[in-house]
Amino acid sequence: MKIPRVLNKKNRVLLAELTRTDFKLRYQGSVLGYLWALLRPLMMFAILYVVFGQLLRFGADIPHYPVYLLAGITMWSFFTECTNQGIQAMVVRGDLIRKISFPKYIVVVSATLTAVINMLINLIVVVIFALLNGVEPSWSWLLVPLSVLELYVLSLGISFLLGAINVKYRDITSIWDVCIQALFYAAPIIYPLSMVITSSVLAAKVLLLNPIAQVIQDIRYNLITTQTITTWDFIDNFWIKSIPIVIILIISVLGIYYFRKKSKFFAEEI
Amino acid sequence: MAKRKIGTRKEVFTNNDIAIHVAHLHKSFRLPTERSMSLKQTIFNRLRGVKGFKDQKVLSGLDFDIKKGEFVGIVGRNGSGKSTLLKTLAGIYYPEKGEIVIDGNLIPFIELGVGFNPELTGRENVYLNGALLGFSRKEMDAMYQEIWQFAELEQFQDQKLKNYSSGMQVRLAFSIAIRAKGDILLLDEVLAVGDAAFQKKCEEYFKSLHGNQTVILVTHSMENITRFCDRAILIENGKITLDGDPKTVAKAYKNLWS
Repeated sequence: MKIPRVLNKKNRVLLAELTRTDFKLRYQGSVLGYLWALLRPLMMFAILYVVFGQLLRFGADIPHYPVYLLAGITMWSFFTECTNQGIQAMVVRGDLIRKISFPKYIVVVSATLTAVINMLINLIVVVIFALLNGVEPSWSWLLVPLSVLELYVLSLGISFLLGAINVKYRDITSIWDVCIQALFYAAPIIYPLSMVITSSVLAAKVLLLNPIAQVIQDIRYNLITTQTITTWDFIDNFWIKSIPIVIILIISVLGIYYFRKKSKFFAEEI
Repeated sequence: MAKRKIGTRKEVFTNNDIAIHVAHLHKSFRLPTERSMSLKQTIFNRLRGVKGFKDQKVLSGLDFDIKKGEFVGIVGRNGSGKSTLLKTLAGIYYPEKGEIVIDGNLIPFIELGVGFNPELTGRENVYLNGALLGFSRKEMDAMYQEIWQFAELEQFQDQKLKNYSSGMQVRLAFSIAIRAKGDILLLDEVLAVGDAAFQKKCEEYFKSLHGNQTVILVTHSMENITRFCDRAILIENGKITLDGDPKTVAKAYKNLWS
Protein backbone atom coordinates (compact mmCIF):
# COMPACT_ATOMS: atom_id res chain seq x y z
CA MET A 1 0.00 0.00 0.00
CA LYS A 2 1.58 3.24 -1.14
CA ILE A 3 1.04 6.45 0.78
CA PRO A 4 -0.70 8.35 -2.06
CA ARG A 5 -3.17 5.51 -2.50
CA VAL A 6 -4.00 5.30 1.18
CA LEU A 7 -5.51 8.77 1.21
CA ASN A 8 -6.69 9.19 -2.36
CA LYS A 9 -9.95 10.97 -3.04
CA LYS A 10 -12.11 7.88 -3.27
CA ASN A 11 -10.90 6.56 0.09
CA ARG A 12 -11.33 9.94 1.80
CA VAL A 13 -14.88 10.27 0.50
CA LEU A 14 -15.72 6.77 1.68
CA LEU A 15 -14.17 7.30 5.11
CA ALA A 16 -16.08 10.55 5.63
CA GLU A 17 -19.41 9.10 4.52
CA LEU A 18 -19.10 5.90 6.59
CA THR A 19 -18.18 7.91 9.68
CA ARG A 20 -21.12 10.23 9.14
CA THR A 21 -23.45 7.24 8.78
CA ASP A 22 -22.08 5.47 11.85
CA PHE A 23 -22.52 8.57 13.97
CA LYS A 24 -26.06 9.16 12.69
CA LEU A 25 -27.12 5.54 13.20
CA ARG A 26 -25.72 5.31 16.72
CA TYR A 27 -28.43 7.49 18.18
CA GLN A 28 -31.13 6.75 15.61
CA GLY A 29 -34.56 6.39 17.14
CA SER A 30 -33.64 7.71 20.59
CA VAL A 31 -35.51 10.74 21.93
CA LEU A 32 -32.46 12.53 23.30
CA GLY A 33 -30.31 11.64 20.28
CA TYR A 34 -26.75 12.95 20.32
CA LEU A 35 -27.23 14.10 23.92
CA TRP A 36 -26.59 10.49 24.93
CA ALA A 37 -22.98 10.90 23.88
CA LEU A 38 -22.73 13.33 26.81
CA LEU A 39 -25.18 11.78 29.22
CA ARG A 40 -23.70 8.30 29.34
CA PRO A 41 -20.27 9.21 30.78
CA LEU A 42 -21.86 11.86 33.02
CA MET A 43 -24.21 9.27 34.51
CA MET A 44 -21.41 6.78 34.98
CA PHE A 45 -19.45 9.57 36.65
CA ALA A 46 -22.37 10.35 38.98
CA ILE A 47 -22.61 6.70 40.08
CA LEU A 48 -18.88 6.24 40.61
CA TYR A 49 -18.56 9.59 42.37
CA VAL A 50 -21.32 8.77 44.86
CA VAL A 51 -20.01 5.25 45.52
CA PHE A 52 -16.26 5.89 45.60
CA GLY A 53 -15.97 9.61 46.31
CA GLN A 54 -18.73 10.05 48.89
CA LEU A 55 -19.38 6.61 50.43
CA LEU A 56 -15.93 5.05 50.30
CA ARG A 57 -14.11 8.40 50.58
CA PHE A 58 -11.56 7.79 47.83
CA GLY A 59 -9.42 10.66 46.69
CA ALA A 60 -9.64 12.80 49.80
CA ASP A 61 -5.96 13.68 49.26
CA ILE A 62 -6.44 14.75 45.62
CA PRO A 63 -7.51 18.30 44.79
CA HIS A 64 -10.45 18.56 42.37
CA TYR A 65 -11.15 14.84 42.80
CA PRO A 66 -14.54 14.88 40.93
CA VAL A 67 -12.95 16.35 37.78
CA TYR A 68 -9.96 14.06 38.23
CA LEU A 69 -12.38 11.12 38.27
CA LEU A 70 -14.39 12.43 35.31
CA ALA A 71 -11.25 12.90 33.17
CA GLY A 72 -10.24 9.29 33.85
CA ILE A 73 -13.68 7.93 33.06
CA THR A 74 -13.90 9.96 29.85
CA MET A 75 -10.64 8.54 28.54
CA TRP A 76 -11.56 5.04 29.67
CA SER A 77 -14.96 5.22 27.90
CA PHE A 78 -13.14 6.36 24.80
CA PHE A 79 -10.78 3.39 24.94
CA THR A 80 -13.56 0.83 25.43
CA GLU A 81 -15.86 2.36 22.81
CA CYS A 82 -13.04 2.68 20.30
CA THR A 83 -11.82 -0.90 20.65
CA ASN A 84 -15.30 -2.44 20.82
CA GLN A 85 -16.44 -0.65 17.67
CA GLY A 86 -13.11 -1.21 15.93
CA ILE A 87 -12.96 -4.93 16.61
CA GLN A 88 -16.52 -5.50 15.42
CA ALA A 89 -16.30 -3.15 12.45
CA MET A 90 -15.43 -5.84 9.90
CA VAL A 91 -18.34 -8.02 10.97
CA VAL A 92 -20.81 -5.13 11.10
CA ARG A 93 -19.76 -3.96 7.63
CA GLY A 94 -19.48 -7.50 6.24
CA ASP A 95 -22.06 -6.66 3.61
CA LEU A 96 -19.80 -4.00 2.07
CA ILE A 97 -16.70 -6.16 2.23
CA ARG A 98 -18.44 -8.96 0.35
CA LYS A 99 -19.69 -6.68 -2.40
CA ILE A 100 -17.20 -3.96 -3.18
CA SER A 101 -13.45 -3.73 -3.32
CA PHE A 102 -11.89 -1.06 -1.12
CA PRO A 103 -9.10 -0.81 1.46
CA LYS A 104 -10.49 -2.57 4.51
CA TYR A 105 -8.80 -0.32 7.05
CA ILE A 106 -11.38 2.35 6.15
CA VAL A 107 -14.07 0.32 7.90
CA VAL A 108 -12.06 0.11 11.13
CA VAL A 109 -11.02 3.76 11.11
CA SER A 110 -14.56 5.00 10.40
CA ALA A 111 -15.95 2.90 13.27
CA THR A 112 -13.40 4.34 15.71
CA LEU A 113 -13.86 7.93 14.50
CA THR A 114 -17.35 7.95 16.00
CA ALA A 115 -15.72 7.23 19.36
CA VAL A 116 -13.25 10.06 18.71
CA ILE A 117 -16.10 12.52 18.11
CA ASN A 118 -17.85 11.39 21.30
CA MET A 119 -14.62 11.72 23.26
CA LEU A 120 -13.93 15.25 21.98
CA ILE A 121 -17.41 16.35 23.09
CA ASN A 122 -16.82 14.78 26.49
CA LEU A 123 -13.42 16.39 26.81
CA ILE A 124 -15.05 19.80 26.39
CA VAL A 125 -17.37 18.90 29.27
CA VAL A 126 -14.34 17.92 31.37
CA VAL A 127 -12.73 21.29 30.70
CA ILE A 128 -15.94 23.13 31.64
CA PHE A 129 -16.19 21.10 34.88
CA ALA A 130 -12.53 21.80 35.60
CA LEU A 131 -13.04 25.56 35.25
CA LEU A 132 -16.18 25.45 37.42
CA ASN A 133 -14.22 23.48 39.99
CA GLY A 134 -11.58 26.18 40.20
CA VAL A 135 -8.80 24.57 38.16
CA GLU A 136 -6.50 27.28 36.79
CA PRO A 137 -6.04 27.20 32.97
CA SER A 138 -2.42 26.43 32.14
CA TRP A 139 -0.11 26.04 29.17
CA SER A 140 0.26 22.36 30.01
CA TRP A 141 -3.33 21.90 28.69
CA LEU A 142 -1.79 22.02 25.23
CA LEU A 143 -0.08 18.70 25.94
CA VAL A 144 -3.41 16.89 26.42
CA PRO A 145 -4.05 16.26 22.68
CA LEU A 146 -0.71 14.40 22.53
CA SER A 147 -1.84 11.97 25.20
CA VAL A 148 -5.22 11.58 23.49
CA LEU A 149 -3.44 10.77 20.24
CA GLU A 150 -1.30 8.20 22.04
CA LEU A 151 -4.41 6.45 23.37
CA TYR A 152 -6.03 6.54 19.93
CA VAL A 153 -2.99 4.90 18.35
CA LEU A 154 -3.16 2.14 20.96
CA SER A 155 -6.91 1.66 20.38
CA LEU A 156 -6.43 1.50 16.61
CA GLY A 157 -3.59 -1.01 16.97
CA ILE A 158 -5.76 -3.27 19.14
CA SER A 159 -8.70 -2.85 16.74
CA PHE A 160 -6.62 -3.86 13.71
CA LEU A 161 -5.07 -6.85 15.42
CA LEU A 162 -8.13 -8.25 17.18
CA GLY A 163 -10.52 -7.11 14.44
CA ALA A 164 -8.62 -9.17 11.86
CA ILE A 165 -8.74 -12.26 14.09
CA ASN A 166 -12.41 -11.62 14.87
CA VAL A 167 -13.32 -12.02 11.19
CA LYS A 168 -12.67 -15.74 11.53
CA TYR A 169 -12.99 -16.37 15.22
CA ARG A 170 -15.87 -14.45 16.73
CA ASP A 171 -14.77 -15.56 20.20
CA ILE A 172 -12.55 -12.47 20.23
CA THR A 173 -15.49 -10.17 21.02
CA SER A 174 -16.30 -12.13 24.18
CA ILE A 175 -12.67 -12.47 25.22
CA TRP A 176 -12.16 -8.73 24.81
CA ASP A 177 -15.23 -8.02 26.97
CA VAL A 178 -13.53 -9.84 29.84
CA CYS A 179 -10.18 -8.16 29.17
CA ILE A 180 -11.88 -4.75 29.31
CA GLN A 181 -13.31 -5.57 32.74
CA ALA A 182 -9.90 -6.62 34.03
CA LEU A 183 -8.13 -3.61 32.51
CA PHE A 184 -10.61 -1.23 34.14
CA TYR A 185 -9.54 -2.34 37.61
CA ALA A 186 -5.89 -2.64 36.59
CA ALA A 187 -5.72 1.09 35.83
CA PRO A 188 -6.00 3.75 38.53
CA ILE A 189 -9.26 5.18 37.22
CA ILE A 190 -11.66 5.07 40.16
CA TYR A 191 -9.11 4.56 42.92
CA PRO A 192 -6.22 6.99 43.45
CA LEU A 193 -2.75 5.56 43.00
CA SER A 194 -1.77 6.73 46.48
CA MET A 195 -3.99 3.95 47.86
CA VAL A 196 -1.87 1.35 46.08
CA ILE A 197 1.38 2.96 47.20
CA THR A 198 0.43 2.61 50.87
CA SER A 199 0.29 -1.18 50.48
CA SER A 200 2.96 -1.75 47.82
CA VAL A 201 5.20 0.68 45.96
CA LEU A 202 6.20 -2.03 43.50
CA ALA A 203 2.55 -2.75 42.61
CA ALA A 204 2.02 0.96 41.93
CA LYS A 205 5.05 1.00 39.63
CA VAL A 206 3.81 -2.02 37.71
CA LEU A 207 0.36 -0.42 37.32
CA LEU A 208 1.98 2.67 35.80
CA LEU A 209 3.62 0.59 33.04
CA ASN A 210 0.16 -0.01 31.57
CA PRO A 211 -0.12 2.45 28.64
CA ILE A 212 -3.73 3.25 29.55
CA ALA A 213 -2.72 4.19 33.09
CA GLN A 214 0.19 6.23 31.78
CA VAL A 215 -2.05 8.21 29.39
CA ILE A 216 -4.79 8.84 31.94
CA GLN A 217 -2.31 9.99 34.60
CA ASP A 218 -0.58 12.28 32.09
CA ILE A 219 -3.87 13.89 31.12
CA ARG A 220 -4.79 14.41 34.78
CA TYR A 221 -1.35 15.86 35.45
CA ASN A 222 -1.47 18.32 32.56
CA LEU A 223 -5.14 19.22 32.81
CA ILE A 224 -6.10 19.11 36.46
CA THR A 225 -3.41 18.83 39.08
CA THR A 226 0.35 18.43 39.14
CA GLN A 227 -0.11 16.33 42.27
CA THR A 228 -1.00 13.41 39.96
CA ILE A 229 1.53 10.58 40.09
CA THR A 230 2.79 9.92 36.55
CA THR A 231 4.89 7.15 35.05
CA TRP A 232 7.64 9.67 34.25
CA ASP A 233 8.05 10.94 37.83
CA PHE A 234 7.45 7.72 39.70
CA ILE A 235 9.78 5.38 37.81
CA ASP A 236 13.45 6.30 37.65
CA ASN A 237 14.99 3.95 35.13
CA PHE A 238 14.67 5.41 31.63
CA TRP A 239 14.31 2.02 29.94
CA ILE A 240 11.64 0.86 32.32
CA LYS A 241 9.60 4.03 32.07
CA SER A 242 9.54 3.79 28.29
CA ILE A 243 7.77 0.42 28.47
CA PRO A 244 4.25 1.93 27.90
CA ILE A 245 5.44 3.55 24.66
CA VAL A 246 7.14 0.33 23.56
CA ILE A 247 3.94 -1.65 24.22
CA ILE A 248 1.95 0.77 22.04
CA LEU A 249 4.52 0.58 19.25
CA ILE A 250 4.60 -3.22 19.28
CA ILE A 251 0.79 -3.56 19.28
CA SER A 252 0.37 -1.02 16.46
CA VAL A 253 3.07 -2.46 14.21
CA LEU A 254 1.86 -6.01 14.81
CA GLY A 255 -1.77 -4.95 14.29
CA ILE A 256 -1.11 -3.18 10.99
CA TYR A 257 1.12 -5.99 9.71
CA TYR A 258 -1.37 -8.75 10.58
CA PHE A 259 -4.37 -6.78 9.30
CA ARG A 260 -2.73 -6.07 5.94
CA LYS A 261 -1.73 -9.69 5.58
CA LYS A 262 -5.20 -11.03 6.35
CA SER A 263 -7.35 -8.36 4.72
CA LYS A 264 -7.03 -10.00 1.29
CA PHE A 265 -9.19 -12.87 2.48
CA PHE A 266 -11.78 -10.96 4.52
CA ALA A 267 -14.30 -11.05 1.68
CA GLU A 268 -14.32 -14.86 1.62
CA GLU A 269 -14.08 -15.45 5.32
CA ILE A 270 -16.50 -13.00 6.78
CA MET B 1 -1.88 -23.38 8.58
CA ALA B 2 -0.57 -23.74 5.06
CA LYS B 3 0.26 -20.45 3.43
CA ARG B 4 -2.20 -19.50 0.74
CA LYS B 5 -0.97 -18.89 -2.77
CA ILE B 6 -1.90 -15.71 -4.52
CA GLY B 7 -2.07 -14.87 -8.19
CA THR B 8 -1.81 -11.36 -9.52
CA ARG B 9 -4.35 -8.71 -10.31
CA LYS B 10 -3.07 -5.51 -11.88
CA GLU B 11 -4.76 -2.31 -12.91
CA VAL B 12 -3.12 -0.43 -15.75
CA PHE B 13 -4.05 2.41 -18.06
CA THR B 14 -2.77 1.92 -21.60
CA ASN B 15 -3.93 2.53 -25.15
CA ASN B 16 -3.99 -1.16 -26.04
CA ASP B 17 -7.32 -2.49 -27.22
CA ILE B 18 -7.58 -5.19 -24.54
CA ALA B 19 -9.70 -4.12 -21.55
CA ILE B 20 -9.47 -7.30 -19.49
CA HIS B 21 -6.83 -9.99 -19.81
CA VAL B 22 -7.33 -13.20 -17.87
CA ALA B 23 -4.81 -16.05 -17.98
CA HIS B 24 -4.89 -19.42 -16.17
CA LEU B 25 -7.18 -18.05 -13.53
CA HIS B 26 -7.77 -20.42 -10.62
CA LYS B 27 -9.78 -19.82 -7.50
CA SER B 28 -10.80 -22.05 -4.67
CA PHE B 29 -12.39 -21.36 -1.34
CA ARG B 30 -11.45 -22.72 2.02
CA LEU B 31 -14.56 -24.20 3.48
CA PRO B 32 -14.31 -24.96 7.17
CA THR B 33 -15.11 -28.58 8.02
CA GLU B 34 -16.61 -29.90 11.26
CA ARG B 35 -17.33 -26.53 12.88
CA SER B 36 -13.84 -25.10 12.96
CA MET B 37 -15.25 -21.60 13.30
CA SER B 38 -14.35 -21.30 16.97
CA LEU B 39 -10.95 -20.74 18.46
CA LYS B 40 -11.29 -23.85 20.65
CA GLN B 41 -11.99 -26.11 17.67
CA THR B 42 -9.09 -24.64 15.71
CA ILE B 43 -6.67 -25.31 18.52
CA PHE B 44 -7.98 -28.89 18.93
CA ASN B 45 -7.79 -29.45 15.19
CA ARG B 46 -4.24 -28.29 15.07
CA LEU B 47 -3.19 -30.42 18.02
CA ARG B 48 -4.73 -33.47 16.38
CA GLY B 49 -3.21 -32.57 13.02
CA VAL B 50 -6.59 -32.12 11.35
CA LYS B 51 -6.70 -29.47 8.64
CA GLY B 52 -10.08 -28.07 9.68
CA PHE B 53 -10.94 -26.98 6.16
CA LYS B 54 -11.21 -28.32 2.67
CA ASP B 55 -10.47 -26.53 -0.57
CA GLN B 56 -13.44 -26.12 -2.86
CA LYS B 57 -12.37 -25.50 -6.44
CA VAL B 58 -14.56 -22.88 -8.08
CA LEU B 59 -12.59 -21.60 -11.07
CA SER B 60 -10.12 -23.92 -12.74
CA GLY B 61 -7.98 -22.35 -15.38
CA LEU B 62 -9.86 -19.61 -17.21
CA ASP B 63 -8.30 -17.83 -20.18
CA PHE B 64 -9.93 -15.01 -22.08
CA ASP B 65 -9.39 -11.46 -23.31
CA ILE B 66 -12.06 -8.82 -23.55
CA LYS B 67 -11.60 -6.00 -26.00
CA LYS B 68 -12.34 -2.40 -25.22
CA GLY B 69 -15.91 -1.54 -26.16
CA GLU B 70 -17.06 -5.14 -26.18
CA PHE B 71 -20.37 -6.14 -24.51
CA VAL B 72 -19.81 -9.63 -23.17
CA GLY B 73 -22.39 -11.87 -21.50
CA ILE B 74 -21.42 -14.61 -19.09
CA VAL B 75 -23.84 -17.48 -18.63
CA GLY B 76 -23.88 -20.74 -16.72
CA ARG B 77 -25.87 -22.68 -14.18
CA ASN B 78 -26.10 -21.76 -10.52
CA GLY B 79 -22.81 -22.58 -8.83
CA SER B 80 -20.82 -22.73 -12.07
CA GLY B 81 -18.52 -19.92 -10.91
CA LYS B 82 -19.93 -16.86 -12.71
CA SER B 83 -20.26 -14.67 -9.66
CA THR B 84 -16.89 -15.77 -8.30
CA LEU B 85 -15.34 -14.80 -11.62
CA LEU B 86 -17.00 -11.40 -11.47
CA LYS B 87 -15.90 -10.82 -7.87
CA THR B 88 -12.36 -11.86 -8.69
CA LEU B 89 -12.28 -9.47 -11.65
CA ALA B 90 -13.62 -6.74 -9.35
CA GLY B 91 -10.82 -7.31 -6.84
CA ILE B 92 -13.14 -8.43 -4.05
CA TYR B 93 -11.62 -11.92 -4.08
CA TYR B 94 -7.93 -12.50 -4.67
CA PRO B 95 -7.00 -14.81 -7.55
CA GLU B 96 -5.39 -17.98 -6.28
CA LYS B 97 -3.33 -18.64 -9.38
CA GLY B 98 -3.01 -16.92 -12.71
CA GLU B 99 -3.14 -13.35 -13.86
CA ILE B 100 -5.72 -10.64 -14.31
CA VAL B 101 -4.90 -7.36 -16.01
CA ILE B 102 -7.56 -4.67 -15.94
CA ASP B 103 -6.94 -1.81 -18.35
CA GLY B 104 -9.01 1.18 -17.31
CA ASN B 105 -11.30 2.24 -14.50
CA LEU B 106 -13.50 -0.68 -13.47
CA ILE B 107 -16.86 -0.25 -11.74
CA PRO B 108 -18.50 -3.38 -10.35
CA PHE B 109 -22.19 -3.80 -9.63
CA ILE B 110 -22.25 -7.10 -7.85
CA GLU B 111 -25.44 -6.02 -6.22
CA LEU B 112 -27.52 -2.88 -6.45
CA GLY B 113 -27.76 -0.58 -3.46
CA VAL B 114 -24.70 -1.81 -1.59
CA GLY B 115 -24.65 -0.23 1.86
CA PHE B 116 -28.30 0.86 1.73
CA ASN B 117 -29.49 1.24 5.28
CA PRO B 118 -33.23 0.96 6.08
CA GLU B 119 -32.90 3.38 9.03
CA LEU B 120 -31.60 6.23 6.86
CA THR B 121 -33.68 8.45 4.61
CA GLY B 122 -33.63 8.13 0.84
CA ARG B 123 -31.52 11.26 0.64
CA GLU B 124 -28.90 9.95 3.10
CA ASN B 125 -28.76 6.62 1.33
CA VAL B 126 -28.12 8.30 -2.02
CA TYR B 127 -25.03 10.04 -0.62
CA LEU B 128 -23.82 6.90 1.13
CA ASN B 129 -24.24 4.71 -1.93
CA GLY B 130 -22.61 7.40 -4.04
CA ALA B 131 -19.58 7.45 -1.73
CA LEU B 132 -19.25 3.69 -2.17
CA LEU B 133 -19.07 4.29 -5.92
CA GLY B 134 -16.42 6.95 -5.34
CA PHE B 135 -18.49 10.14 -5.65
CA SER B 136 -17.87 13.02 -3.27
CA ARG B 137 -20.76 14.97 -1.72
CA LYS B 138 -20.19 17.78 -4.22
CA GLU B 139 -20.36 15.43 -7.19
CA MET B 140 -23.49 13.84 -5.77
CA ASP B 141 -25.09 17.28 -5.31
CA ALA B 142 -24.64 17.89 -9.03
CA MET B 143 -26.48 14.74 -10.07
CA TYR B 144 -28.90 14.55 -7.16
CA GLN B 145 -32.02 15.83 -8.95
CA GLU B 146 -31.35 13.69 -11.99
CA ILE B 147 -31.17 10.54 -9.86
CA TRP B 148 -34.56 11.15 -8.26
CA GLN B 149 -36.15 12.10 -11.55
CA PHE B 150 -34.89 8.95 -13.25
CA ALA B 151 -36.13 6.85 -10.33
CA GLU B 152 -39.47 8.73 -10.37
CA LEU B 153 -39.46 8.86 -6.59
CA GLU B 154 -38.95 12.60 -5.94
CA GLN B 155 -41.72 12.80 -3.33
CA PHE B 156 -40.12 10.10 -1.14
CA GLN B 157 -36.67 11.71 -0.71
CA ASP B 158 -37.02 12.31 3.02
CA GLN B 159 -38.75 9.06 3.91
CA LYS B 160 -36.75 6.37 5.61
CA LEU B 161 -35.72 3.60 3.27
CA LYS B 162 -37.55 0.99 5.35
CA ASN B 163 -40.80 2.59 4.22
CA TYR B 164 -39.96 2.07 0.54
CA SER B 165 -41.30 -0.96 -1.30
CA SER B 166 -38.59 -3.31 -2.54
CA GLY B 167 -39.29 -2.22 -6.12
CA MET B 168 -38.77 1.41 -5.14
CA GLN B 169 -35.49 0.59 -3.43
CA VAL B 170 -34.12 -1.16 -6.49
CA ARG B 171 -35.22 1.68 -8.74
CA LEU B 172 -33.39 4.19 -6.58
CA ALA B 173 -30.27 2.00 -6.48
CA PHE B 174 -30.33 1.53 -10.24
CA SER B 175 -30.70 5.25 -10.83
CA ILE B 176 -27.60 5.95 -8.75
CA ALA B 177 -25.65 3.12 -10.31
CA ILE B 178 -26.03 4.29 -13.89
CA ARG B 179 -24.44 7.67 -13.03
CA ALA B 180 -21.15 5.94 -12.34
CA LYS B 181 -18.88 6.51 -15.30
CA GLY B 182 -16.13 3.97 -15.72
CA ASP B 183 -14.25 2.36 -18.57
CA ILE B 184 -15.44 -1.13 -17.67
CA LEU B 185 -18.75 -2.08 -16.07
CA LEU B 186 -19.36 -5.39 -14.32
CA LEU B 187 -23.04 -6.17 -13.93
CA ASP B 188 -24.49 -9.12 -12.07
CA GLU B 189 -28.18 -9.77 -12.82
CA VAL B 190 -29.34 -6.21 -12.50
CA LEU B 191 -31.49 -5.90 -15.58
CA ALA B 192 -34.77 -7.09 -14.14
CA VAL B 193 -35.68 -3.97 -12.23
CA GLY B 194 -39.01 -2.34 -11.47
CA ASP B 195 -42.25 -2.34 -13.48
CA ALA B 196 -42.67 -2.48 -17.24
CA ALA B 197 -42.28 1.27 -17.76
CA PHE B 198 -39.08 1.41 -15.71
CA GLN B 199 -37.72 -1.68 -17.46
CA LYS B 200 -38.07 0.14 -20.74
CA LYS B 201 -35.94 3.02 -19.46
CA CYS B 202 -33.31 0.56 -18.27
CA GLU B 203 -33.21 -1.16 -21.63
CA GLU B 204 -32.66 2.16 -23.37
CA TYR B 205 -29.78 2.77 -21.02
CA PHE B 206 -28.21 -0.59 -21.85
CA LYS B 207 -28.62 0.01 -25.54
CA SER B 208 -26.85 3.34 -25.14
CA LEU B 209 -23.93 1.55 -23.50
CA HIS B 210 -23.60 -0.76 -26.46
CA GLY B 211 -20.51 0.07 -28.47
CA ASN B 212 -19.42 2.90 -26.14
CA GLN B 213 -18.44 0.98 -23.10
CA THR B 214 -16.84 -2.29 -22.09
CA VAL B 215 -19.49 -4.28 -20.23
CA ILE B 216 -19.46 -7.71 -18.67
CA LEU B 217 -22.93 -8.93 -17.86
CA VAL B 218 -23.76 -12.03 -15.86
CA THR B 219 -27.32 -13.13 -16.49
CA HIS B 220 -29.70 -16.06 -16.81
CA SER B 221 -31.82 -14.31 -19.40
CA MET B 222 -30.91 -15.57 -22.90
CA GLU B 223 -33.12 -12.83 -24.28
CA ASN B 224 -30.78 -10.22 -22.85
CA ILE B 225 -27.74 -12.16 -24.08
CA THR B 226 -28.90 -12.15 -27.67
CA ARG B 227 -30.23 -8.61 -27.51
CA PHE B 228 -27.33 -6.73 -25.93
CA CYS B 229 -24.17 -8.80 -26.21
CA ASP B 230 -21.53 -8.96 -28.94
CA ARG B 231 -20.12 -12.09 -27.45
CA ALA B 232 -21.01 -14.63 -24.80
CA ILE B 233 -19.08 -17.02 -22.60
CA LEU B 234 -20.53 -20.22 -21.17
CA ILE B 235 -19.05 -21.47 -17.92
CA GLU B 236 -19.55 -24.99 -16.59
CA ASN B 237 -17.95 -26.25 -13.38
CA GLY B 238 -15.40 -23.46 -13.33
CA LYS B 239 -14.27 -23.91 -16.92
CA ILE B 240 -15.09 -22.08 -20.14
CA THR B 241 -16.88 -24.52 -22.41
CA LEU B 242 -17.97 -22.12 -25.11
CA ASP B 243 -16.88 -18.63 -26.08
CA GLY B 244 -18.28 -16.82 -29.08
CA ASP B 245 -21.48 -15.80 -30.84
CA PRO B 246 -24.32 -14.99 -28.36
CA LYS B 247 -26.91 -16.99 -30.30
CA THR B 248 -24.77 -20.14 -30.33
CA VAL B 249 -24.03 -19.77 -26.63
CA ALA B 250 -27.70 -19.16 -25.79
CA LYS B 251 -28.61 -22.36 -27.63
CA ALA B 252 -25.89 -24.34 -25.84
CA TYR B 253 -27.09 -22.93 -22.51
CA LYS B 254 -30.65 -24.10 -23.16
CA ASN B 255 -29.30 -27.52 -24.17
CA LEU B 256 -27.72 -27.95 -20.74
CA TRP B 257 -31.09 -29.09 -19.46
CA SER B 258 -32.27 -31.22 -22.38
